[in-house]
Amino acid sequence: MAHHATDHNQPIGEIPKPVTGWIWKTFFVLVGVTALEFAVTFIMDPSTFRNSILIILTIFKAFFIVAEFMHLKHETKGLIWSILVPMALLIWLMVALITEGSAIGEAIYSAFS
Amino acid sequence: MSTTSTTQTLPHNASIERPRSGTWDGGNEPFKASYGKLMMWFFLLSDAFTFAAFLTTYGLMRHRHLAFTGDHAKFEFSTAYWPIPDKVFNSFPGLHGMDLPLAFVALMTMILIFSSVTMVLAVEAGHRMDKADVQKWLLWTLLFGATFVSCQAWEWSHFIHGTEEGTKMLDGTIFHGANLQMNQYGPVLFADLFFFITGFHGTHVFSGLVLLTYCFIATTNGTFEKRGHYEMVEKVGLYWHFVDLVWVFVFTFFYLV
Repeated sequence: MAHHATDHNQPIGEIPKPVTGWIWKTFFVLVGVTALEFAVTFIMDPSTFRNSILIILTIFKAFFIVAEFMHLKHETKGLIWSILVPMALLIWLMVALITEGSAIGEAIYSAFS
Repeated sequence: MSTTSTTQTLPHNASIERPRSGTWDGGNEPFKASYGKLMMWFFLLSDAFTFAAFLTTYGLMRHRHLAFTGDHAKFEFSTAYWPIPDKVFNSFPGLHGMDLPLAFVALMTMILIFSSVTMVLAVEAGHRMDKADVQKWLLWTLLFGATFVSCQAWEWSHFIHGTEEGTKMLDGTIFHGANLQMNQYGPVLFADLFFFITGFHGTHVFSGLVLLTYCFIATTNGTFEKRGHYEMVEKVGLYWHFVDLVWVFVFTFFYLV
């Protein structure tokens, strides 16, 4: 409550002090995860398992950007869902078309074998 | 039984001039977000579909081609299989001939993440009606954004001009670099998708720079101060973070996996 009292005592027209702690926290999370992605890319050999780790880390980063920087975490539930539900369909699109790509490749390269 | 119609009983004062603001008259904001912010969110959602279409196409094309299966160190460019990204993007401006896999793209990523941070700081300053701080952070964002686009220009230029050795193409000639029809690094589609995906993203960054410039001018002129809020900075901020968000995905799907 003491904090509130100081707010009220502030003279009109005075600009409040910036509160930036959460911004820098988010920044360090993003930098840390990017560094981790780099480490994973160069330490591990290319495989589906490595790529899955990279994709999970990417979604983790995306969550922080959308939730904190774009402030979506603090919006109403309706807005959050109307953004997230259509995005979830894109995962389906991607899995479907990558499978399709493998099938096309298979058909081309092993048509005469 | 009264014959007076209800409209005539209304007093002839300001109430007839005032916009109706009841719950079913459009007086409330859906999702408790302003019209502009809500529309920005839905525009960004549609834009996300566009980028998702590009990246999904990349995934499809990559899986449709053969993958390089040999030793990572012995990788050579060939149109027969999809290239390994850290073998293609391994140069750094000013450090000619050195093998620095993905170093430059890491720097670009850091620059863009940092520009996102300065953008949040500008939005935060706007909430406090701190004009000088908004100006300062908008300028930093503009600087980092412009640096990112310049880095991308260098990356494109290097990609187009190619390596000194070049690659022997199917017709027996040596080809350096890449364009939409020829590609020394791998299948033609690899270069096409590079140009389309990073180009479309770069165009978004450029549009963001234009919007930021407008915000800076309007802030300097006191337009937002007179309006009583810095919501425009917030909306442009949403767009700018989205551009950063897309880069996070491009970075993973184009450069890392």
